[in-house]
Amino acid sequence: MNPQWLAVQSFQNSQDLLAAINTLSIHTKLELAGRSDAKRAKTAVKAKADLLSFLEELEDMVQRAEKVDANPMLGIDPRRRQLVKSFIAAKRNFRLHSVVFRDKLSYATKLFDSAKPTDKHEIVLFLEELRTLLEEHLENDTERVLGEI
Amino acid sequence: MRDILRQNNRALRHEIEQLQRTLNEARNKIPEELKAYSDRIVTDCEKLHQACVQNLQDLDLELDDLLKDILSNTQFVTRAFHFLNKHQVSPILRARESDRLCLKLLRWLHAEHEKTKDIPVALRDDEFSIWPIEPTIYFMPCTAQRGLLYLPLFFHEFGHLLYACHRVEMNELVRELQEAIADLLSPAIQRNDEYTQEQERSRNLIVETWYEWAQEIFCDAVGFVVGGSSFAYAFSMYLRMLGRGEYNVSREKLAHRSHPVTWIRIQLMANRGRQMGYEALASDLEETWSRIADAMGIHEDHDGFFDPAFVPAIQQKVNDMLTEAAPHEVQEAEAASPDLDSALNSPIALLNMAWQKFWDSPADYRAWEQQAIETFLGKR
Repeated sequence: MNPQWLAVQSFQNSQDLLAAINTLSIHTKLELAGRSDAKRAKTAVKAKADLLSFLEELEDMVQRAEKVDANPMLGIDPRRRQLVKSFIAAKRNFRLHSVVFRDKLSYATKLFDSAKPTDKHEIVLFLEELRTLLEEHLENDTERVLGEI
Repeated sequence: MRDILRQNNRALRHEIEQLQRTLNEARNKIPEELKAYSDRIVTDCEKLHQACVQNLQDLDLELDDLLKDILSNTQFVTRAFHFLNKHQVSPILRARESDRLCLKLLRWLHAEHEKTKDIPVALRDDEFSIWPIEPTIYFMPCTAQRGLLYLPLFFHEFGHLLYACHRVEMNELVRELQEAIADLLSPAIQRNDEYTQEQERSRNLIVETWYEWAQEIFCDAVGFVVGGSSFAYAFSMYLRMLGRGEYNVSREKLAHRSHPVTWIRIQLMANRGRQMGYEALASDLEETWSRIADAMGIHEDHDGFFDPAFVPAIQQKVNDMLTEAAPHEVQEAEAASPDLDSALNSPIALLNMAWQKFWDSPADYRAWEQQAIETFLGKR
């Protein structure tokens, strides 16, 4: 069994990412509704940077994992290995519909910088699917870290 | 849905405000060494409060499109609050005067490193471990907290924090070590039959397990580099009487075990000790553990998960990891101090002196330790 510190690290990491996703998703939806505000736009900049840094790392891990396939994933902690496996499985099972998942994750950078409403709708879909994956991944850590009543 | 979310956010906001009041009352009674941690928790608590208020404001926008996001955000705040309430506030609410010894050492340890100097620390009662996040929580059994002898075990835990601070580079080095171990385990001739496939599965299991083991071995090395012999003595003494599991573990239990068998760690520590010039200490460690293993009739066999042939690759990569992490290195003056006054110049010197006193004169040790702790904490 993985030590609790790994679960705690993974719990906090997923929590930070979910906060970033929600900030960005709400900001994008408010932009689409013509109701964005300066305060949220500022927090969205940091959220975007955090998310892109995570996606860059995830893309690298996914590419390596897909290349070696059955071989072990090296230099990756057990919780991230699990996340990469879940991500690949979701892609193969056609659970993910966003073009970002169909294309390269780095495609998100292009979308985030776009002002086109169609791209913003695409961002909303991408963030929603990424959030579902992360929330599923977080379940194990939450159980381990917070326990059950 | 909007009403449900309002109910939860209002209830959560009330609970956070209640915790804020409790924290404010408790902060007047905590030791100085816990102030930075307490300030950080108060700030985090306020951030959660603001997040709740923001959720309520977002609900007032009456945009159905946002409901999924607000639901996720409410769950985020709920989990974060439970984590704070369950784990992070107890070092403040249950603070004791006796926490000062550990906290003073931990604050010194963090202050010594560029990457950790601004990370606040706290202490909780439990088996030795760490939550290598910000702010950091260290765990130690309550009796060990009141003496000097086992404090060096914190240096191993600090290694986990250094690993987290250098995660990308460390993971790359561990990947290289895993590749080296995979090479060492590869058969000279590869056939394409069932036996070979089984061997490959077994090899992959070993290589994957070494991700966590490499981090533990690195943390042991950090402990040794920071604390010198005090760390090795504390480590050996604390673990050598815990039973057979420290010496030998079945193959099934070895797979994906988070820590290598302690006997392996002792061998690697002795090997490192020799590299660092601690010849007598290295021999003492090896002999002591071999004698206990012999007495239990245990013969060394780690089912392919460890082999002496791995040692050069392990030590080479751990050396690279130490270069990357650059922890405080025990100085000659810290390894052996002539008297308590000079030992008080550095916590490392004090801990090494403690072990020297313990070996030299066990009967007088406890009285000396009490005096040393009081002087270290500025009570004398």
